[in-house]
Amino acid sequence: MTIIFLKNVGRFLFLILFQVLILNNIQVNGYINPYFYIYFIMLLPFETPGWLLLLSGFLLGFSLDAFSNTLGLNTAACVLMAFVRPFVINVISTGTEFMIGHSPSLKNQGVKWFTYYTIILVLVHHFALFYLEVFRFTEFFQTLLRVLLSSLFTLLLVFIAEYLLYPIEK
Amino acid sequence: MHYLFFFLRKQYIYFLFLLLEIISLFIFFNNNDYQNSSLTEVSNGFAGTVQNFSSNISEYFSLRRVNHILAEDNAKLHSNRSEAFYKADTESFYHNDTLYKLEYRYISAKVINNSTNKRNNFIMLNKGQRQGIENHMGIIMGDRIVGQVVSVSAHFCWVMSLLNKDTRISGKFKKNNQLVNIEWNGGDYQVGEVKEIPKHVEINKGDTIITSGNSDIFPEGLMIGTIDRYTIAQEENFNSATIRFATDFNSLSFVEVLIDMMRKEKVDLKNSFKNSVR
Repeated sequence: MTIIFLKNVGRFLFLILFQVLILNNIQVNGYINPYFYIYFIMLLPFETPGWLLLLSGFLLGFSLDAFSNTLGLNTAACVLMAFVRPFVINVISTGTEFMIGHSPSLKNQGVKWFTYYTIILVLVHHFALFYLEVFRFTEFFQTLLRVLLSSLFTLLLVFIAEYLLYPIEK
Repeated sequence: MHYLFFFLRKQYIYFLFLLLEIISLFIFFNNNDYQNSSLTEVSNGFAGTVQNFSSNISEYFSLRRVNHILAEDNAKLHSNRSEAFYKADTESFYHNDTLYKLEYRYISAKVINNSTNKRNNFIMLNKGQRQGIENHMGIIMGDRIVGQVVSVSAHFCWVMSLLNKDTRISGKFKKNNQLVNIEWNGGDYQVGEVKEIPKHVEINKGDTIITSGNSDIFPEGLMIGTIDRYTIAQEENFNSATIRFATDFNSLSFVEVLIDMMRKEKVDLKNSFKNSVR
């Protein structure tokens, strides 16, 4: 239990620093900015109680906001994503047994399950984040493009991380 | 009553979600008017320390370009020294301080965090209240504009970059002083939008746009950019154009904070006028 806790704290710190120091500096034409730090919420163990999920989402978003002078923006998006997560898991799961203490992963849950899981959560977060940031309907399609491109990039990073962390044995 | 508690316990997750979401949206919209809240000050102090550390490392990668800019500035300054001027009559050379009151003072600051890829971009500088930085001060680089200070902590300040949906710069055509507004619509960080160009102004590609001096933030004559493309609108009253910014926002490393020594006087005058009208 303690090990799982420490593991998640470490992941939290690493992802925040990675996002702030490296990803926030990536500049591709103003359309792509990946938000890979939400990988933390995606990797919380299955049996994490709802309140803990929401609170860690709040804390994660707030920490990132503190670094980018966007107080409340990432927090709102992360809380929403943490709230949606149990519903997503319920909808896409087909009665597969989840082991206690395990996190969602590409290896254990399979490519199809994990792809749905990631796409839905990333899209929820990015939609909330970008539209809240712009908060204008005149730039609707431009923002939509940014959401889609950035989601694609975040997805790519998540899958790269999955393959690096849990190599699939042959 | 019993059922109410039962209901609350069963559905607590929805209430917790609503509570947290309301808190974060409350912070977001309250923080949006760029006031100096205690929350931003705390986050500025902490985030500033981390960002400072990272910029101390990345600083080395831009040394070559920074050197180049400094050398250019040096040359410019040298050519302004009194030794550089030819004095025809050394006997009658005098300097009268009462004619030239110091209006602007410059403080050099290092950029420790910068972005150009968001819809609303901010820049963090390593100077703060201790160095005399206040809200609404302009930030320039050489003779090109960068942004304005929106929040200050003891040692750092946040600057709302020109690349922000809330930034509106009052500019004018250098050739005929016609006033226009400059905004940034997202996307490419090198290109902005020039709004409200009167119909009678003839636009050419490459026309220079400079600051008008109408706002309290920038003095007149700072470089904003040059006209890139323009459209002649048939039905509307104004034409519009895109502007290529003179500032390269992606490579900012050292900037100057513009301290307007007479700002208080200007603001007071404006306020007293407003009060007397009412």
